[in-house]
Amino acid sequence: MMKLSNITKSYGAGSLVVPVLRGVDLEIGDGEFVAIMGPSGSGKSTLMNIIGFLDKQSDGVYSLNGEDVKESNEKQLARLRNEHIGFVFQQFFLLPRLNAQKNVETPLIYSGVSKKERIERARALLQKVGLEDRMSHLPSELSGGQKQRVAIARALVNNPSVILADEPTGALDSKTGAQIMELLTGLNREGKTVIIVTHEEEIAAYTDRIIVLRDGMIVEDRKVTA
Amino acid sequence: MNIWEGFVVALSSIWNHKVRSILTMLGIIIGVSAVIIVVAIGDGARKQLADEMFNTDENAVPLYFEQMEMEENGEFIWVDPPAVSGDQLDQVKEVPGVKYVLGTNSGWGSMIHNEKNADMEMLGVDNQYFIAKDIKLLEGRRLNTRDNDSYSRVVMIDSLTRENMFKDDEEAVGAIIEIDNNPYKVVGVFETTLPPEFQQLDDFSNGQMLMPRTLISMMFGAPEIDTISVIADNPETLFDTGNAAADKLNELTATDGGMYIAQDMTEFVEEFDSFYLTITLFISSIAGISLLVGGIGVMNIMLVSVTERTREIGLRKALGATRGQILGQFLIESVTLTSLGGMIGIGFAALITAVAAMFLPFTPIINPIVVVIGILFSSFTGIVFGILPANKASKLSPIDALRYE
Ligand SMILES: Nc1ncnc2c1ncn2[C@@H]1O[C@H](COP(=O)(O)OP(=O)(O)OP(=O)(O)O)[C@@H](O)[C@H]1O
Ligand SMILES: [Mg+2]
Repeated sequence: MMKLSNITKSYGAGSLVVPVLRGVDLEIGDGEFVAIMGPSGSGKSTLMNIIGFLDKQSDGVYSLNGEDVKESNEKQLARLRNEHIGFVFQQFFLLPRLNAQKNVETPLIYSGVSKKERIERARALLQKVGLEDRMSHLPSELSGGQKQRVAIARALVNNPSVILADEPTGALDSKTGAQIMELLTGLNREGKTVIIVTHEEEIAAYTDRIIVLRDGMIVEDRKVTA
Repeated sequence: MNIWEGFVVALSSIWNHKVRSILTMLGIIIGVSAVIIVVAIGDGARKQLADEMFNTDENAVPLYFEQMEMEENGEFIWVDPPAVSGDQLDQVKEVPGVKYVLGTNSGWGSMIHNEKNADMEMLGVDNQYFIAKDIKLLEGRRLNTRDNDSYSRVVMIDSLTRENMFKDDEEAVGAIIEIDNNPYKVVGVFETTLPPEFQQLDDFSNGQMLMPRTLISMMFGAPEIDTISVIADNPETLFDTGNAAADKLNELTATDGGMYIAQDMTEFVEEFDSFYLTITLFISSIAGISLLVGGIGVMNIMLVSVTERTREIGLRKALGATRGQILGQFLIESVTLTSLGGMIGIGFAALITAVAAMFLPFTPIINPIVVVIGILFSSFTGIVFGILPANKASKLSPIDALRYE
C-alpha cells in the first residue's frame, strides 16, 4: 500500500521556481489497477517518478506500507526500485546492444541473482509475454509492440509488487496498444498493482480507477464502471 | 554483477568501438612496450657481457697497459706499451699466488686450403698456453718451445677448421696450408673452444688457429707479447694477485709512459649497469609520460562514453543499479581498456624483441617481473583515470539521465 500526503514538487530555484505538483493526496492499495490522466504538462510523469523512487518530492510525505521513504538513502532507493517496482516506458528504453533475454536479465544482475537463475527467469518471462522465439533478437530487430513486451518482461523479472507504466501504448498503434493492455490487465489479475499514465480514454477503460491531474493537482478520482 | 561479467561486458563494448579503443590505448601500448623492450635489450646485453667476461676464464685477469697522459710541445703523445719478453713473464710468474702468466699476440690472416678460403684470427702462443688453458689435443702434437725459438712455420688448427677445410678422409697433420700466400705446416688439431653459437659450418666460419708467437711477431712486425693475463692459484684473490703481478711487471719494464694494471672485469659490468640504469630510467620516464598521456586519453574517452550513455545509466538506475554498481561498471571498463592496452603492449614488445634478436649480436631477455609490473601499472592507470568519469556516471540522477536527449 502506498500513501502520498500533500506531495509537492517544484523545479528550479529562487524566483524561477516552477511548481509542478501542488499538494497531491493519494492512496493506492495493493492489487489496484489505476490510470493517471490529464493534459500534457500537468505533472503525470513527475508523479509516477516520485511513486517509483526515481525522483524525490520537494515536500510532503510518501509512505510505503506505512514507512516514510524520505529517510531512505541512495542505496536503499536503488533497492526499492530494483525489488519493488517494475518500470515500463513509452520509449521502451531497451539496451540496444543486448538481446531480448539479456535485457530482461538486467535487473537481476543488480540484485545479485546467479547467472543460471537469471537465464531461467528471463526465458520464462519472455515466454509469458509471447516472445519465446525472439529471445536472442536485438531490440533493433523487434517491432514496437515486441519491444514493449520485452520491457514488460524486464519489469516483471524481479517479481515486483508494483508495475509503473508511463504511456506504455503511446508509441504503438491501437491494436498493438490493446495487446499490451491485455497483458497488463492479466498481470493485475495475478495480483500486481498496476499504475499507468495515458491520454486515451480507451486505454484508461481497461483499469478500475482513473485519477485526473490538472496543474499539479488531482481534480478527479473515480472508479471505472464497466 | 561480478567482476568477471563486468570484464566480458567491457570487452564487448571495447570491441564495438574498435578504432576508438585502439587509438585510446595507443599511449598505454607504447608506454608498456617501450619499458619491456628496453629492459629486455639491456638484460640481454648485460648477460652477454657477463658471459663473455666470466665464462672464458674465471680465474684469469688481464693486465692492461694504461697510458699516462703525456704532453710534448702542446701535443699529446701516444706511448706504446714497453716490449715484454718471455723471460720477464717467467719472473712475474714467481710472484706469490700466480699460477700462470700468459703472453700472447695475434694477427688476422686468410687461410686457403682445398680451394676453400677462411679469414681467421691467428693466436700467437707459447707452450705455457696449453697447460694453462687446458687445450684438448685431438691429432698430432702441440706447439713447443723449439717452435718458438726457431720461428717454425707451423700451425695448429681447431676441430672446426679441420671439419670445414679438410676432407673427412684427408690427413690434417702434416698438411701444408696457405696463409696470405705463404705455406705453413699443420702439426696438430685441437678441440675448438668457440661457444656453440659461433660454430656455424660454412665457408666463412671463423675457426681458430694457434701459431708460435715469435712467428706472428715476425709475420706482422708486431711485439712478441701484446696481451698478458694472469691466472691465480686462488680465484678469490684473483684481483689482488693480478695487481701484485702488474706491480712486478712495472718494476721489470720500468717505463714512465704508463703502467700495467690488473683490469677488474666486474668494473666493466658495474659501469655497464650504471649506464644501463640511466638509459632505463630515461626510457621509463618517457614511458611514464606516454602512460600519463594515454591515461588522460582514457579519461577523455570515458567521459565521452558517459555522456553518450547517459540514457543507459538512467535506465540502469531505474532498474535498480546502485551508485556503486554504476561506478564499478565504468571503472571496470576503463581498467579493461588500459589493461588490454598493457597486454597488447606486452605482445608488441615480445614481437619487437623477437625481431631484434635476429639483428642483435645477443638475445634480449624479457623479464617476467617487468611484464607483471606493466600489467599492474596499466590497470592502475585505468583506475586512476577512470575514477573521474565513473564517478560522474554514478552521480547522475536517474530521472535527469532518462530525460536526456
Ligand atoms: N527537470 C525538470 N526541470 C524543469 N522542469 C521540469 C523538469 N521535469 C519536468 N518539468 C516540468 O514539469 C512539468 C510537468 O512535467 P511532466 O513530465 O510531469 O508532465 P506530464 O504530465 O507527464 O506531461 P506529458 O503528458 O506531456 O508527458 C512540465 O511543465 C515540465 O516542463
Ligand atoms: Mg509524461
